[in-house]
Amino acid sequence: MLNTFLSHQWKSFWRSRNRGSSIAGQIVLGFFMLYFLVLALGAGFGMQFLLPKIFPNQDVIKSFNGLILYYFALDFIMRLQLQELPTLSIIPYLHLRISRSKIISFLNLKALFSAFNLWPIFIFLPFIFLKIGTTYGIFTALMYVVTILSITIFNNYLALYIKRKSISNVLYTLVGLIIFAVFAALEYYKVISVMAASDYVFKTIAKMPFIGFAFTLAAVAIFYINSSFLLKNLYTEELSSKQEKKASTDYAFLNRFGRVGELAALELKLILRHKRPRSSVIMGFFFLFYGFIFYKEKAIDRDAFGQMMFGAIFMTGISIIIYGQFMFAWQSAHFDGILANKINFKDFIRAKFLLFTIGCTVITLLASFYGFLSPKLLLLHVAAYLYNIGFGTVVVLYLATLNYKRLDITKAASFNYQGTGATQWLLMFPYALTPILIYVPFGMLDKPYWGLIAVSIFGLIMLLMRGFWVNYIAKRLELQRYKIAEGFRE
Amino acid sequence: MILEVKNLQKVYGDKTVVNIQDLNIEAGETVGLVGNNGAGKTTFFRMLLDLIRPTSGEVLSKGENVMQNDNWKNYTASFLDEGFLIDYLTPEEYFTFIGSLHNLSIADVSAYLTQYGEFFNGEILNSGKYIRDFSKGNQVKVGIAAALMQKPEILILDEPFANLDPTTQIRLKNLLKLQAGSMTTFISSHDLNHVTDVCNRIILVEKGVVIKDFKTDENTLKELESYFSA
Repeated sequence: MLNTFLSHQWKSFWRSRNRGSSIAGQIVLGFFMLYFLVLALGAGFGMQFLLPKIFPNQDVIKSFNGLILYYFALDFIMRLQLQELPTLSIIPYLHLRISRSKIISFLNLKALFSAFNLWPIFIFLPFIFLKIGTTYGIFTALMYVVTILSITIFNNYLALYIKRKSISNVLYTLVGLIIFAVFAALEYYKVISVMAASDYVFKTIAKMPFIGFAFTLAAVAIFYINSSFLLKNLYTEELSSKQEKKASTDYAFLNRFGRVGELAALELKLILRHKRPRSSVIMGFFFLFYGFIFYKEKAIDRDAFGQMMFGAIFMTGISIIIYGQFMFAWQSAHFDGILANKINFKDFIRAKFLLFTIGCTVITLLASFYGFLSPKLLLLHVAAYLYNIGFGTVVVLYLATLNYKRLDITKAASFNYQGTGATQWLLMFPYALTPILIYVPFGMLDKPYWGLIAVSIFGLIMLLMRGFWVNYIAKRLELQRYKIAEGFRE
Repeated sequence: MILEVKNLQKVYGDKTVVNIQDLNIEAGETVGLVGNNGAGKTTFFRMLLDLIRPTSGEVLSKGENVMQNDNWKNYTASFLDEGFLIDYLTPEEYFTFIGSLHNLSIADVSAYLTQYGEFFNGEILNSGKYIRDFSKGNQVKVGIAAALMQKPEILILDEPFANLDPTTQIRLKNLLKLQAGSMTTFISSHDLNHVTDVCNRIILVEKGVVIKDFKTDENTLKELESYFSA
């Protein structure tokens, strides 16, 4: 029976709707996976050479031992946020002649198919065989492997158990990350050392290899706790995350915009009430830290705005880019309704401009903390802001009229490439290159501030032309509407 | 008595969706559940099939609580909605899978399916489509045929006539009438004509409570119509 379940999962993976639809998207996804795989393997094999560089004054095995528990702590936090509960997949089996215990073994088995369970193997095993094996002998190395695999499985089922028992959300993950950072800081200031603890644990395993089975016992225990919880609660309504009470809301600040405001409020509700758009928006806030990568002291001193432009555009325009890449597709489930109802295309487009402007303004205001690094950055942000709301919005909405892919917005955004096609990747080019191209001549003439003014003026002109762009895009949408609606229906 | 419902309650928040004190179904009965939207019909069916945990009370199938063990699955078949179908399979794959759960070989399954050529109207088998690519009506046909294939003692169908074309509705009625006596059937429907035609007992529910429970006779349809038009 488990074989049948697995073959169904296999079919579900290969026959899923968004598969095969876009080869470009798949190739990009494939490259990403390959890239991460190579990274993990590189880290695994390179560890003997990297560790002495990072921790120059200690034994390489001590550093390795010290890192293991840190890795699994981080692994656990990430699992809480990213690992999916394999719950929905059992609905078609519940009413059939299949015993509960079989369904549960299927759920347990399915939970093992997660990338999280692969990383430790790639990262730790090479070092264990290359270094631990040669130092302590093969038996100790095998016990290291047993321990690593046991902790992996322990983390796997504990994360699922916690997720099943409570509503896990981004907040928990943030708290977890903060605790993790606090421990790292305490380690750095030598108050408490998790590394020493981790080293102690694995030193003991090196001395008395059988101790490693303690972790196996823990893994088996959590496996049984998880299974017995499932056995008592095998109701999909209870296993999926819990529902809060829904209330009607009214966004008073949007009312002043009349019909357009109503449409914008509708879309705002769509964002807040669905997992995928909501997590895209939350991701946008994380990108606020992007500036720390791009705003190097040297670049700021030399007024090299050209280098920093990309970072600024990306950061202040992130809400437009991330949300805008699936424009209209967010509404794919009810796009027919939008077409069939009395909604003016121009109002529809204006509402999108309004939302983009609000989002971009909020993010730009939040990003103003970079002013502490240098007030010059604020000028850069103003230029990027004007460009984003003036022209970036137009690029995104224009490309949206070429997007016919349906989107299931109830699924989470991380590692979800549904609805992604070549258009989305191409989006970045005109969007990011235009302001840089405008800036470059001024940069070369060593007039960086004139460059910023030029980008700002370009943005302002486009902003003043908004009426024209609204008409233009509304016309495009009118032309494309059958094609878009057809694509969204599939 | 094949099915017994005792003090069954389901409460969501402060709203009682189902509240059935005492209900017994004899083997071989064909029971129709009627009621307006929100009467709790689907929730009730879900509790019969142990898909929702009742707030209180129990459902006994052949004397055994459906929550305690899986024995009822051996003789109960059901189709409530498209969520019951594994929609990325072809219909043949799905039928074979369901058949295998009841120890039917592929040959048994295809032999069984030949008699459904008329019911499927040639649109389902060998169509080269996944179940999800079918229209709603055809998906319902797959679900009903898969349920009947299990030769169940208890059959539970939620609004089987909805989404079906008129010809198939009549065929389905004939199929159900043919099984009467040998199988306990529990269906819900908004179509009063169909339920009174097929069922020999009607249970009328409103807001989760059983309002009327009676055997059908020639006056039943009129009685129901007058109740719902009031």
